[in-house]
Amino acid sequence: MRKTEINKIPGRVWVFGDYREYFQNRITLQLIAKARDLAETLNTGITVVLLGEQIHQYAMEYVAHGADTVMVADHSNLKEYEVETYTTVLAKWAKEYQPEIFLAGATSFGREFFPRLAKRLSTGLSADCVDLEVDPETSLLVQTTPSFGGELLAEVITPDRRPQMATVHPGIFREFPHNSEAIGRIIYPEVDVFSEPRVKVTRSRPQSKGKVSLEDASVVIAGGMGLGSKGQFELLNELAAILEGEVGATRPAILAGWADEDRLLGQTGKSVKAKLVISIGTSGALQYTTGIQGAETVIAINRDPNAPIFRIADLGLVADGKTVLPLLLETLRRRI
Amino acid sequence: MTESINIVVFIKQVPDVPSIRIDEQRMTIIREGVESIINPLDCVALQAALELREGQGGGNITAITMGPPQSEEVLREALAAGADQGILLTDPAFAGADTLATSHVLARAVSKLRQFPDLLLCGMQSIDSDTGHVGPQLAEELDLPQVCGVNEIHIDGKSLVLKRLSDGFVDTVRVSLPALLTVNKDLCPVRDLSLGEIEVAFSQREIIRWTSSDLNLQRDEVGLRGSATHVRKLRSPATRTGGKIVTGSPQTIVDTLIQKLESMSILDEEDGN
Repeated sequence: MRKTEINKIPGRVWVFGDYREYFQNRITLQLIAKARDLAETLNTGITVVLLGEQIHQYAMEYVAHGADTVMVADHSNLKEYEVETYTTVLAKWAKEYQPEIFLAGATSFGREFFPRLAKRLSTGLSADCVDLEVDPETSLLVQTTPSFGGELLAEVITPDRRPQMATVHPGIFREFPHNSEAIGRIIYPEVDVFSEPRVKVTRSRPQSKGKVSLEDASVVIAGGMGLGSKGQFELLNELAAILEGEVGATRPAILAGWADEDRLLGQTGKSVKAKLVISIGTSGALQYTTGIQGAETVIAINRDPNAPIFRIADLGLVADGKTVLPLLLETLRRRI
Repeated sequence: MTESINIVVFIKQVPDVPSIRIDEQRMTIIREGVESIINPLDCVALQAALELREGQGGGNITAITMGPPQSEEVLREALAAGADQGILLTDPAFAGADTLATSHVLARAVSKLRQFPDLLLCGMQSIDSDTGHVGPQLAEELDLPQVCGVNEIHIDGKSLVLKRLSDGFVDTVRVSLPALLTVNKDLCPVRDLSLGEIEVAFSQREIIRWTSSDLNLQRDEVGLRGSATHVRKLRSPATRTGGKIVTGSPQTIVDTLIQKLESMSILDEEDGN
């Protein structure tokens, strides 16, 4: 494609296309859906920037999920996600095409490489945003980000510098369904990729076996210290199996060794957008409830009628989880 | 491999977040009566530096912090723990800095050191603002390679072999020195300081202080004026409103729950009873 044509790229809301573990990792699709809102307010379109080797299929996917344009850098040196190489390529594109907004998922990689990119572009970046909107009066991106361990939310703006950059907490926004009729442009601008990375990953192995991710589960059974013991907590697995859900946990339950770190819900863990969360023996600390706020329905079981969890639960059941859980399982087993 | 190592550890004084309270009217943090501490992950970075120095049979550890005059306390704690020198970057003009402006001041301080360090260590993120940006941005300004979230460090000649957890993978990483690492909590347990050591550090050691002019920084490069982001407003997290509360015998509770699951079509309805 000739340069004059590339310069006409309409989409000034950019999304970093992270296609690793595509079928589990939906963050890019969630960002495209949110970018649609932002782009409409700004009267522009969405461009997904996609770096890697032989990745055309993902470009097609992003169009089917709502991207107007996908800019692809296809090069063997981009096969590995590497901070400095990615920073160099994207800084060059951002300087040339001047996006208004640039979003990435708050994945480990996103949170490592976006700060470096923002610094090279001398612009602002907010971390792990839980909401984004364009202020219709100022046209500025309002980036809502948790601070003080989630006790407060800060609305951050980047008044003068561009692009306005943010990493976004996975699981907050809902992706658009796949539309194979969607029309978008996929372009391959020229890239220069230097290939002497100072950081080399020599080995990479999966941390744990792949369960359905908590973020994508439609039913989540969450437990906290009120369950009293690891044995009781493990009953949640049985309940989750019956209701076809996934188990989540509060920070104290994980510290007690009742569940693995990847089950953590809340501010420093995962946010769910489940149809239903059943929260058992959790008092409802803010650090935890931010992770379940996005559920359609929350049912809480706690023996303390004044527990804060009841202030966010659609249905509050005042009872001791330790008693109710075995009885519930027994009743459900009889039905099957 | 007994070459001495020269390490800089960046530390931040933060409020002890679990004990803060919110002024709901003014939407600010009530700092009164809240203890200030070293950001917990920065303690891990400091401990790692001490162990690396010991493993190499020598070296030099410099602790650097940027903040108001009272953040000198965290440097004294670092000295008590075993750091060789503490540098406080303090100037009223530094106030209100975002990570872009903060990393600029820190980078300038590193460049002013007599000897450029082999290794720069930061906590992976702070408990108050939680961004994790300063490490990578400092690495960018100093043109250093960076690795974030490190939980194992081995020195191998002029490079490091590291382990870190990243997006569900355990990576083994090799990086050349000099380099910047941010560390996570699994790197090493933090040793408690004895009170005696703290007293010595408080009474005897000199803290180096550098201001804007020592670092040759202009007003619009630092603090609020040098920042790209502004906090427009603080607010409480949006809350859901609570619904129906049901009390009763365990069986009543179980029945209510099952009814709700049926009405949501999560369980199939059962005929009869």
